Amino acid sequence: MTKQLISQETLSRRLLRKTLAGPGVKFALFWIGTLVFCAVFAPFLANSMPLIMSKNGQIFFPVLTYLSIEDLVVLAAFFTILVLWVLPLKLKFRVNLALLAAVIAAVSVLANIYLKPPQLVIYDDFRTSTYIETDWRVMPPIPYAPQDYLRDYGDTGLEPPLASKATDHKRLHLMGTEENGADVLSRMIHASRIALSIGIVATSISMILGIIIGGFMGYFSGVVDMIGMRLVEIFEAIPTLFLLLTFVAFFGRSLYMMMIIIGVTSWSGYARYIRAEFLKLRRQDYVQAAVAAGLPLHSILFRHMLPNGVAPLLVAASFGVASAILAEATLSFLGLGLVEEPSWGQMLDQSVTSASFNWWMAVFPGGAIFLTVFAYTLIGEAFRDAIDPNLSREAGVQ
Amino acid sequence: MPAPLLVVSNLCTYLQNGIETVKAVDGVSFTINKGETFCLVGESGSGKSITALSVIRLLPYGIASHPNGQILFNNQDLLQVDEAELRTIRGSQIAMIFQEPMTSLNPVFTVGDQIMEALQLHNPDMTAEEAQERAIQALEQVQIPNSRERMNTFPHQLSGGQRQRVMIAMALACEPELLIADEPTTALDVTVQAEILRLMRHLQDTTGMSILFITHDFGVVAQMAHQVGVMQHGKLVEVGLVEQVLNRPRHVYTHQLLEAVPENLARHKNPALTKSLSEAHLIAEPLLQLRHVNVWFPIKKGVFRQVVDHNKAVDDVSLDIAKGQIVALVGESGCGKTTLGRAVLQLEKPSSGSIKMQGSELVGLSASEMRPWRSKMQMVFQDPQSSLNPRLLIETTLTEPMAVHGIGANQEERLELAAKTLERMQLKREHLWRYPHEFSGGQRQRIGLARALVLNPTFIVCDEITSALDVSVQAEILKLLLELRAERDLTLLFITHNIGVVEYLSDQTVVMYKGRIVELGPTAAVCGSPQQDYTKKLLAAVPRLTLNA
Repeated sequence: MTKQLISQETLSRRLLRKTLAGPGVKFALFWIGTLVFCAVFAPFLANSMPLIMSKNGQIFFPVLTYLSIEDLVVLAAFFTILVLWVLPLKLKFRVNLALLAAVIAAVSVLANIYLKPPQLVIYDDFRTSTYIETDWRVMPPIPYAPQDYLRDYGDTGLEPPLASKATDHKRLHLMGTEENGADVLSRMIHASRIALSIGIVATSISMILGIIIGGFMGYFSGVVDMIGMRLVEIFEAIPTLFLLLTFVAFFGRSLYMMMIIIGVTSWSGYARYIRAEFLKLRRQDYVQAAVAAGLPLHSILFRHMLPNGVAPLLVAASFGVASAILAEATLSFLGLGLVEEPSWGQMLDQSVTSASFNWWMAVFPGGAIFLTVFAYTLIGEAFRDAIDPNLSREAGVQ
Repeated sequence: MPAPLLVVSNLCTYLQNGIETVKAVDGVSFTINKGETFCLVGESGSGKSITALSVIRLLPYGIASHPNGQILFNNQDLLQVDEAELRTIRGSQIAMIFQEPMTSLNPVFTVGDQIMEALQLHNPDMTAEEAQERAIQALEQVQIPNSRERMNTFPHQLSGGQRQRVMIAMALACEPELLIADEPTTALDVTVQAEILRLMRHLQDTTGMSILFITHDFGVVAQMAHQVGVMQHGKLVEVGLVEQVLNRPRHVYTHQLLEAVPENLARHKNPALTKSLSEAHLIAEPLLQLRHVNVWFPIKKGVFRQVVDHNKAVDDVSLDIAKGQIVALVGESGCGKTTLGRAVLQLEKPSSGSIKMQGSELVGLSASEMRPWRSKMQMVFQDPQSSLNPRLLIETTLTEPMAVHGIGANQEERLELAAKTLERMQLKREHLWRYPHEFSGGQRQRIGLARALVLNPTFIVCDEITSALDVSVQAEILKLLLELRAERDLTLLFITHNIGVVEYLSDQTVVMYKGRIVELGPTAAVCGSPQQDYTKKLLAAVPRLTLNA
């Protein structure tokens, strides 16, 4: 490749390429990719109802009728990203983002108007003759919904993976069942949604807040810095858990509220990092040169200063994602988390609270949390290395 | 014939960097006699510091190796002795002082403690009282007033010059036979440098020690040395008596180095580039008009952060800069010259006063009102390490400001302009696609200059742009500046502490002291026949190449 060719490559693409070349990133991306796949297609991967069935010559899609608004929005967002990625449209990042936001907004509005999924789903019904006596049908790979407690099988409860009792009943639970009798693998797949979304959304919220507030504090210093630091101190004094408790008491349990509260209360660490970096960078000659060249403030802050000060933030962020997942787990442990919907933390909690130690309840969700946190850390490290041209020997040439 | 104290013969020092071996010192031989000063001169990276560190054996094991050579100190080969024996020699017989007086003293111990520790380490049977007396004596020796009280001060309470004196006192307390001084005055102001050099000469006369003096400044060499060694790429290219080397250099490289010294540059100045300003130029409205400019930084104290006093960095400065002139702003560190330069560009808001550019007031403009002026006035910075954004390609650094100011219709046109400017700076077109860390200091300064020039400014503030560079690189940059001035009719405010550069480059000279202008006028007048005492003192302190025999 000639130097001229490389120059056409935009900064973000170059960063992406270098990040991918980092150690262990391929594994990390494989794991996160698996999670994304699980999260997006969860209803099609693990569900009690058939995907397609033909009865009396008529074809039904039971899964689609039971699709919730969230499922639809997630699917729409995923395919929009895929289309924008694959299609050779030379659009700016900003345009892409706007398109994505527009699609999500449109789908959620339309879904709220037109989609009326049944409020109550009795999963046992799917094992009655209505659904079994068909011409043909295609079941999901894991034929159990996460909230399907298999009551029709009678006395179900904690069963280790591939337990003999289950096989007698012609059931197959690759990861066993939990205390209510639901399939663990199915719950794991559906929980990947919460793990991904709460980690990413809460950390994004706190990072955006932290960078903006910290950036202004560091760049302007003086009075802005003083007010900002007091704000940081106030937010650091708020116990997140009790705030969540209060909000849960007032407004009920909601995943979105948890994301926002975790995000809004944990930005102060990022703000401190960015402030410290910006205070140091502000006096650097190249920042002064940017000011002297009359560059607009957003370019000085986000193009000249942020890339130089973002390194400690990325490492913090990879742990932030982890701690957001753990925060959700803690809430579930306290019984303030989501009740019906599965989450890894809640499952991990079950392994502790029951009388005997149930290894499959600890190993699978625990391993998933570990791998996810590990993957985020690997990506964070690789990104930090990619953003630092001093670390690459032939930066700009290769 | 004086007896030799240190005989270095065919010394080789190889540094291991990964799988690469760097021949940092390659077959160096020289002799230092008792009571004499041997100066090692050379540009950065020539291996002069490594030579000194090899002599005192301070290079880390495993990285440095000496495959060849001998260092005979009092007929003892330092390369053969073991670590325990070395420790008895270091400090007591060979002492070293370093360049940076800020970092070479431990900030948490008092000055007295640090001298006494060194003393008691090398004389285990010395009592605390004796050590204290000896330490006070040492401080007196380096002419620190009230030395008894000074024993209890911490390094941060002393000025840079005083710290360097303390370092010398520490080195001298054990009465070494050889003092290695690694650029001891480079970080100091000229007047302080002159005092330290005088002190070192005086101490040498009284104690009879030998000095291995490392410097890059030929002026200092002329002041200090008995013998000189010139180093290039790890080799000693010329050794000889100071008169002979400075006046009749035999080696081409020595000749080149001496030619590049600003004092000598002036003699070969191209008269076409120094077109003297026509009278009309001077009478016309000045490009820049400063009236009673103050930049005061408040000093706040107490719980409520009341302003108790002001640090007057720039105090009531009035100055006219005519178009096409190079105005040199000289002064010692902390005199406010950089602050003034930044205030002119509105990078520092003046507390009061007026700064007019082409007749329009700049003070009090908002950031957006200031923007159209930004392209007309630019700045080039001192430190080539930090003046370019390490995360951006040179291409981005150069074209982004152009885009903001609407120079060039599209990105291709701007790239072409940037490439042309780089070529004018004697850099290559391909350098656009490199990151700053791939360039040398001199190249970075050229890029910094290119960044200023792409906006077609009429006025550039050059803040000590050559002080971090070697003399030969400095000479090239200065030549380039003169050519550019002639080509583009530039006006420069050249901030520097180097009088040689001032004499070579500037039309007008402004001398600053403690935030005020003490003298201004045509360079020839200010440097030739200074009127003010401070200017006289400053000029007298400059180490000149001419030997004071």
